Amino acid sequence: MSRRIGSLSGVIAAAAVVLAVAGSAQAQEQVKTLYGDMYAVTQDMLNRSEGDGNNFLHTNGNYNQTRFYPARQINASNVQKLRPAWIFQTDVVETMETTPIVVNGVMYVTTAFDHVFALDARTGEQLWNYKHNLGPVATFCCGPNNRGVAVYNNMVYLGTLDAKLVALDAKTGKVVWEQKIADPELGYSETMAPTAVNGKILIGTNGGEFGIRGFVKAYDAKTGNLLWTFNTIPENSVGAWTTHDATGRDMHRDISAEKAALQKSGDPYKTLGGGVWQNPAVDLALNRIYFVVGNPSPDLDGALRPGDNLYTDSLVSLDLDTGKYVCHFQYIAHDVWDLDSVSPPVLTDVVGKDGKVIPGLLHAGKTGHVYVHDRRDCSLVRFSEAMVPQENMWTLPTKDGARMLPGANGGVEWSPMAVDPNLKLTYAINLHQPMTYHVLSTPYPEGKLWLGGAFKVIPTEEQWGNVTAVDYNTGKIRWQVKTEQPMIGGILATAGGLVFTGEGNGLFKAYDSETGSVLWHFQSGAGVNAPPSSYTVDGKQYIVVAAGGNTQLNYKRGNSIIAFTLPE
Amino acid sequence: MSRLSVFKVAGFITLATAVPTLAQTATPDISDKLQLCATCHGEAGTPAKPEIPIIWGQNEYYIYVELRDFKAGRRANETMNPIVADLSKEEMQALAKHFSEQPWPATSFPSDDAADRKAQDAMTAGACTSCHLGDLHGKSAIPRIADQQPVYLEKTILELKNNVRQNAPAKTALFSTYPDDELKALAVYLSSR
Repeated sequence: MSRRIGSLSGVIAAAAVVLAVAGSAQAQEQVKTLYGDMYAVTQDMLNRSEGDGNNFLHTNGNYNQTRFYPARQINASNVQKLRPAWIFQTDVVETMETTPIVVNGVMYVTTAFDHVFALDARTGEQLWNYKHNLGPVATFCCGPNNRGVAVYNNMVYLGTLDAKLVALDAKTGKVVWEQKIADPELGYSETMAPTAVNGKILIGTNGGEFGIRGFVKAYDAKTGNLLWTFNTIPENSVGAWTTHDATGRDMHRDISAEKAALQKSGDPYKTLGGGVWQNPAVDLALNRIYFVVGNPSPDLDGALRPGDNLYTDSLVSLDLDTGKYVCHFQYIAHDVWDLDSVSPPVLTDVVGKDGKVIPGLLHAGKTGHVYVHDRRDCSLVRFSEAMVPQENMWTLPTKDGARMLPGANGGVEWSPMAVDPNLKLTYAINLHQPMTYHVLSTPYPEGKLWLGGAFKVIPTEEQWGNVTAVDYNTGKIRWQVKTEQPMIGGILATAGGLVFTGEGNGLFKAYDSETGSVLWHFQSGAGVNAPPSSYTVDGKQYIVVAAGGNTQLNYKRGNSIIAFTLPE
Repeated sequence: MSRLSVFKVAGFITLATAVPTLAQTATPDISDKLQLCATCHGEAGTPAKPEIPIIWGQNEYYIYVELRDFKAGRRANETMNPIVADLSKEEMQALAKHFSEQPWPATSFPSDDAADRKAQDAMTAGACTSCHLGDLHGKSAIPRIADQQPVYLEKTILELKNNVRQNAPAKTALFSTYPDDELKALAVYLSSR
């Protein structure tokens, strides 16, 4: 049972409520007068979302994925007064990574195990609930996560742990169509929110720890028919035998041994991993998408996968209409540390190598660097100072364990960054969790967890996190605030001069985006490890975030969606 | 050998009771198999011996995968391998579904403060809840390990560590980084959740 435990009293005049029994046993329809009564999300709305101070239509705010919200009612001068407007509790007390999506006063949130809730964004009152009938076969690593929905026209789109794409009626939560994306028995699963653009629903796949072959697929938004597939692992995955990483450091590859292994076993592309589990950025002008590709399988054992393992640990760009390859940039060739590319790319203008402003792209790595690219050809322009300690890079994993920093939970994990285009700053949340890397070579275990060894947290070493602002035109760190725990979840910047992000200890904080001063905090009672979003209804701006803790880092679980606003 | 004999005898017994099944095709009759299972895993879910796991209430896909691995020889066990040898995929799916739908039996395995402290450190280092979840009940292919029989847990953890049980290489790699006393503490801790 879900319930609303708090509300902004007197906000809504009582409306006639008619409870209707939904056709599906999994969906409940509640019909009432809604703000504006507008459910449809047009392509024009999606295109203009960067300047939309009422809605929050994309997981990362807009197609550029800047997570910069244009409303400024809540700002640095009044954020101290921010307080909860309402709290909605779901019936799933497990890890929460959802970004609340808001369309004309209706909010869509998801939970672990693929439940979707539609809420009245003014009050937190539940409008409908969809519980995905998760099959017995669901293969997932690192938690039963779901990061939210995509919205398009009159539908809401959800990826599921059993590797399905589900389209729901935005008004009722009833299933319109369901499409099998891949076979979960082989290690495929979905945790990302899909991306909706130009009649297509884009989605990648999890499974980098299970010997999958990664992909990005495009489906017809109306029918669910598959339009194109891009395999993130080409049949020739060998590459150029690159010996140094994107920052120029030697990765200590034994190229001759790899070439011998290639001769013996052939190209390992069929089980090489390369998941894509974060949203692509969309360049509407170039008609391209940009996404990052995860680690090769098995994570720690390179002996079974000779070559650069293209396009793992890479930025990749495709033509939106056809799914054809445009360009890529690989950060770590032949990764054996699981320091893959996860945090979603951000499109923004940057200063190029020659000092001229160019169409740029930012990606934050688990290495702790922010990488700045020219998005016309994916080339690297610069990389930032390291945001977390780096030690013994690139020490190879050993049987007894090699210590290297960052650990596999290091730098910027999947957490999306936010960019303030006026300050030319990008904001990232980081993890510092020392680990040892152990290698143990085993053959592919048929869809089971396949790490090629183990990561082991060093319990005697201090762990912490930080919030870091990086000047992406220089690569210099502008400010940095240490947190008591490694950070995972996401961040939001606003035109009010604020940056919002949460911590595993339950604290949700607002920082001055220019200086990093902590201006406000709220104790949420469970880990705040999800990306915040913002919206405006009836002239009131809200900040909203999920507090459900985190499985991967074992932060206290909860089940709350908390919306904050200023007092009357 | 004695269990194999029971299986052969039980094979002649056909009961009319329909059993819910996961199988996509015709529902197989697994009633005789259930009788055999009960001889070791218990009539009411409490196993006959401490080294035998509780399978009532275990996750469906995990049970199926283990049966599949016993059949394929990826998990060696002198009792289970011959029992599973002749099972069809549909029968294994039906058995997995059946046992997953039974209630986990009440247990009261004792805790130990010293073991708990050691085990909690070990769990932090191994990030156990990443897969087994906060309640240690797992999901799908990830087994429930809370309230499991401690002797079975210790035995299977050490077998994984020592590569005797070979069907979960990620566990073998992880457990091989721990001393035995920490793994024994882990078994005590998990059984008393």
